[in-house]
Amino acid sequence: MTLHQIAFAAVAAVTLISAVFVVILPNILRAALFLVFTFLGVAGLYVLLNAEFLAAMQVLIYIGAITVLIMFGIVLTQQLMGARIRQATQVRMVVIALPVVLIAFAGLAKTFIRPFASAGEHVAAAPAPVDAGTLHQLARMLLQPYVLPFELASLILLAALVGAIVIAKEEKD
Amino acid sequence: MPPVTWYLYVSAALFCIGLFGMMTRRNAIALLMSIELMLNAANINLVAFSGYLTEHTLVGQVFALFVITIAAAEAAVGLAIVINVYRTVQHINADEINIMKW
Amino acid sequence: MRIPVDPSDWLILIPEFILLGTAIAILMIDAFAKAASDRSSPWISLAGTAGAIVAAVFLWGNPLSGFGGMIVNDDFGVLVSTAILTGTALAVLISVDYVRREELPAGEYYALILLSTIGMLLMVSSANLIMIFLSLEVLSIALYVLTGFARMRPRSQEAGMKYFLLGSFSAAILVYGVALIYGATGTVDLQSIADELISPGVLGNPVLLAGAGLVLVGLGFKVAAVPFQMWTPDVYEGAPSTVAAFMSIGSKAAAFAALVRVLIFAMGGLRPEWLAAVWVIAALTMTVGNLVAIAQDNIKRMLAYSSIAHAGYILVAVAAANRLGLQSIPFYLIAYAFMNLGAWAVVTAVTRKGEEAVGLSDYSGLFWSHPVLAGSMGLFMFALAGIPPTAGFTAKIYVFMAAVAADMIGLLIIAIVTTIISAYFYLRVTVIMFMERPAEPPVVTVPTPLAVAIAVAAAGTIWLFLFPGVTQSFTDTVARLL
Repeated sequence: MTLHQIAFAAVAAVTLISAVFVVILPNILRAALFLVFTFLGVAGLYVLLNAEFLAAMQVLIYIGAITVLIMFGIVLTQQLMGARIRQATQVRMVVIALPVVLIAFAGLAKTFIRPFASAGEHVAAAPAPVDAGTLHQLARMLLQPYVLPFELASLILLAALVGAIVIAKEEKD
Repeated sequence: MPPVTWYLYVSAALFCIGLFGMMTRRNAIALLMSIELMLNAANINLVAFSGYLTEHTLVGQVFALFVITIAAAEAAVGLAIVINVYRTVQHINADEINIMKW
Repeated sequence: MRIPVDPSDWLILIPEFILLGTAIAILMIDAFAKAASDRSSPWISLAGTAGAIVAAVFLWGNPLSGFGGMIVNDDFGVLVSTAILTGTALAVLISVDYVRREELPAGEYYALILLSTIGMLLMVSSANLIMIFLSLEVLSIALYVLTGFARMRPRSQEAGMKYFLLGSFSAAILVYGVALIYGATGTVDLQSIADELISPGVLGNPVLLAGAGLVLVGLGFKVAAVPFQMWTPDVYEGAPSTVAAFMSIGSKAAAFAALVRVLIFAMGGLRPEWLAAVWVIAALTMTVGNLVAIAQDNIKRMLAYSSIAHAGYILVAVAAANRLGLQSIPFYLIAYAFMNLGAWAVVTAVTRKGEEAVGLSDYSGLFWSHPVLAGSMGLFMFALAGIPPTAGFTAKIYVFMAAVAADMIGLLIIAIVTTIISAYFYLRVTVIMFMERPAEPPVVTVPTPLAVAIAVAAAGTIWLFLFPGVTQSFTDTVARLL
């Protein structure tokens, strides 16, 4: 195993183990804390894939914004000491969900074996060499061929902004 | 360097963990966290393919950036809805929001 | 420096820009002149929607595509856009008095309707998986909020939460599928995917099939196909009636357009692989939708199951994937826009403040107090059941013909049998309105904008039956492209 592969194994383990805690912990505030570790792990995978800018965005937006938002949501909707914060899992559903999920994973994993085991159609055995101008290239793509989706993303933010305010504002009577 | 399949396995596992959460959780915010896990799984795929594709174009990274943006917008709207539900009915247990229910 | 995006490309988006300008104008008026906005917003929205329809027809097919193939402006897209804009215009008309009666914040309501419409229009003309995903999110985020818009009514709140959770869940599945398609073909451009499918290595790639399957599931949620329909009845019941009316046509039409573009235009070469899946989903959707609708006593839930069932008939045309099928999809959607919006308009008229009076019994003897309203409702029920002389009949005949042309006799038989079953619950509404004669027939008020909407919907329903060729000749061009 090369150093890169060891790093991959460590990061993947952190990601997946914390993700499991996110979905099974009865205390959802703790689950949200493990969500931070999952996001960090995913950012680590991006670094291993030479996507440093995405890793930075992952940390800034997912950990900096989304997790904080989720924490606010939890604190605003739960009495922290109360019983409601628990009972987040439906035990009887686990019996159904576990086989379904395992079959889904087996199906996906089986799908990946043949086409990408070696160099498959369109996919190389090793990633493209690191290019110092990646960020520059990314910026060009966002503002030239992908300018329409880029503008559309701003429309989504506008809709979300208007929507979130109109839903959450207090009624003035 | 690990082959792309390794990343795909991690992503598939993360996706399935998110799916498990969607099927078993009752609390709306816990469900939202499961959805975030699934979106992250999709992003790992996009970025991994972007790095390993023979015609190296970064399209996957651009797409992943958009997915992150959407996730933020969805979280904002979703939490606004959840908080307002809490204000009207004093709980956010999505008993009827079970995806297995017809 | 190379300029990949030609400035003239922005012309293709004039309808969307008109809607966006209108939405921002409404928000601005709402911010600075609250009282004026409550009165003027619906009319400004209506003007904007009309402007968008004119612009869309004016720009028909010219230019054919923009932004390096990111969006296309073909006949199929323009016709589906017409269905969506018709739905939006009618939904705005029925909202005028509803929003006032339910004391909803008018400015934000109409702005979100228009933003959602922009997402629908862009989704229809998207020729790139990134665009499909982003426009899907524009329309969905606005709809999540609109569903939970009645902030004092718990049912609306819970419906909004349910729609949000299941909608985002389906979006996550969709993105995962798109990521797999990207990995298998190396591109997210629909035309390039179609070109890639010529290579046998790509065609037999299980990753591509898994990706296509997940995209089918994701879009299946949006069109409310069985077994991904579980959100529909609760959301339609809980959402404000006008919002349910708006999304029953808009988000369905947009998602079907995307489904056609992905499955037929991009992955037509894979039809032998996806046909079985679409076949089963279509059969289940028609059967479950119509059978469960029989058991409903709530008119909104009944219309929700009716909307599921109609998605099944459109899926038959998708499965056929032939010339007739492609012609029948836009026709079906336009016909559905008229007849379904008409039915929802009557529901809006009969319901009282706080979404009361939504039981079928509330329609008992409606004919004796409001003959015209009951007559219109009868017409829309006939249309939804597919009985002549209505557009619903013509639309169903087209779909059946497409199924025959594609040699899908099994699916055709299921479609015909479920159509006959569906007549029972549609006609039951008519029977309740006309045959029952309670001591006190229901008294409802029909404000003028609502009456106009019902009249337009009724006229459209009959007009498309008398002159189905109107859309036919246009769709011929689409078919020739195949």
